[in-house]
Amino acid sequence: MKPAALNLGLLGLVVLFFLVSLAVGSAGLGITDSITGIIAGGSDVGGIIMREIRLPRAILALAIGFTLGMSGAVLQGFLRNPLAEPGLIGVSGMASLGAVILFYLGLAGNTLYALPAGALLGALIAVALLLALAARSSSTLTLILAGVALSSLAGALTSLVLNLSPNPFASYEIIFWLLGSLKDRSMEHVWLALPLMITGWLLIALSGRTINALSLGEEAAASLGISLPRARAMIVLGVALGVGAATAVAGGIGFVGLVVPHLLRPFTDGVPNRLLLPSGLGGGALLLAADTVCRVVLPAGELNVGVVTALIGAPFFLWLVVRTRREAA
Amino acid sequence: MSDGRWSALQFLAGAIVMAGAALAPDTAGAAEAPQRVMSLNLCTDQLAMALAAPGQLVSVSFLARDRSISPMWREAQNYPVNHGLAEEVFLEQPDLVLTGTFSQHNTTHLVRKVGIPVEEFDFAMTLETIPGEIRRMGDLLGQQEKAEKLAADFSTSLEAIERRQCEPKPTILAFEQNGVSPGKDTLADSVFRAAGFRNLAAEAGLVGAAPFPLELAIAEEPDVIVVQSHEDDAPTLGAYVPQHPALKHLQSRIDAFLPPGSWACNGPLIIDAVKRLAELRQEIAPCPAEASR
Repeated sequence: MKPAALNLGLLGLVVLFFLVSLAVGSAGLGITDSITGIIAGGSDVGGIIMREIRLPRAILALAIGFTLGMSGAVLQGFLRNPLAEPGLIGVSGMASLGAVILFYLGLAGNTLYALPAGALLGALIAVALLLALAARSSSTLTLILAGVALSSLAGALTSLVLNLSPNPFASYEIIFWLLGSLKDRSMEHVWLALPLMITGWLLIALSGRTINALSLGEEAAASLGISLPRARAMIVLGVALGVGAATAVAGGIGFVGLVVPHLLRPFTDGVPNRLLLPSGLGGGALLLAADTVCRVVLPAGELNVGVVTALIGAPFFLWLVVRTRREAA
Repeated sequence: MSDGRWSALQFLAGAIVMAGAALAPDTAGAAEAPQRVMSLNLCTDQLAMALAAPGQLVSVSFLARDRSISPMWREAQNYPVNHGLAEEVFLEQPDLVLTGTFSQHNTTHLVRKVGIPVEEFDFAMTLETIPGEIRRMGDLLGQQEKAEKLAADFSTSLEAIERRQCEPKPTILAFEQNGVSPGKDTLADSVFRAAGFRNLAAEAGLVGAAPFPLELAIAEEPDVIVVQSHEDDAPTLGAYVPQHPALKHLQSRIDAFLPPGSWACNGPLIIDAVKRLAELRQEIAPCPAEASR
């Protein structure tokens, strides 16, 4: 399939799911109400619900899905490892941990800005750790095991910090940080996270040439004049910025970065670089759809979006492991 | 809540304690009143602190001192605290242990096993049961006179407020951490109805404390939204939900109105919450008779 056709098709899907996401909610507003609500401005009920509740939610789902899809694609390309994904290898978990430490312990005062700052720091540490490890051993197993260890440790420490908080309600939020949710986010969250995520996308996009060259092997890449340390730094920073910001406002959402690049790879010509934009769009579409499912299945309480993505992603992951083993054998 | 009212209440309570203590021996018939009573539950703490004679209550639960959930946290500073542990009870060897049916089943079981009497309070979720609870606690502590007066005052105040109400009633929504609202079968719902409000969460079909969708809060635009005042608490994300920017567009009165923990227990103090909300109700939608008074 031509890259342009693929991207246009995915863009159409994103627009469709974006509109569906806007149309679904506990206050029964029709499609026309929804659209006029956003465009007309005004302070009627429909307008407020649209602009202050559903629009930020849809924007965040799109941007976070885009970030996770793109991060998965770039990590899989750079590490030449089909199982690399921000959730699985512990980047999301460490971002959660960083955010939780800064926010709930009140180290940064009672402010939402503590969230992205902490999450960024956590994600940065995780990506740097994993890349250092991957530089020493290119084994798939090592990376995944390290990722699993990092994820479990981060999850345990996140729960511990929340349990230690003097506020009894804090421990109820363990589930948010482990499973993610987009419930009741506001435009504040969008402004908090979107600029960081966009910076992350740019950094990842700029490293596209490197992962193309790397698909030929490290030595071949070096002979093409690619500076590996520089490329590595850009990818680390890009993924940490994007995933850190995403986790700061939506908690840890897993499997999007794993599933989407794999689903879309057959439609590309196998050049890693050309998978980045489709993966971003695909991730956005998937998370918009998953977040809509959460609201439809359990209208009052709402599922955590990580539950839905894990229900899709975990069986897929198993299938992938089985297939990888078969190929290796 | 003003300090003046607190100290007045304390003074009143103190005066009654002395009267009650003097009369206590006469109200025999039942067994002799226990001299060393331990309360393990936030709600029995409140009833016991309101009724016990000086020295009769040896400790209250540590939660009673927590200002974010206990309206009597000031009084609780005057008592030693326990953490609801069986070991603490064994060390103290009280004549009577008070606790709730909701929690600490294992502790209750252990304490009974070593022969210390335990009285459990089951807190039904309506205001009407409160005078009965007060009288029961009075019987247990041998403070019948004091309990009778407190219970009668409670009933009188409640009836006076309920008699004053008129249609149409304004709507109210309590919007707490994570957007959770008390619906039907909650003490808060009972308080709202007594104060002359329609509880939107109960009308929307919520039973118990359950999440109330933010979108519905906007769509229904209640006349009053009660949020919690938790400025000095450690931060949580859930605390940001009742501060969502979308709520700022509403005409609703949004405020804490009540001190934290006002309807956590069906103790005698809950009447203050009813009075406070009834005043608010007259302010936003005065009843005709009330307006001419």
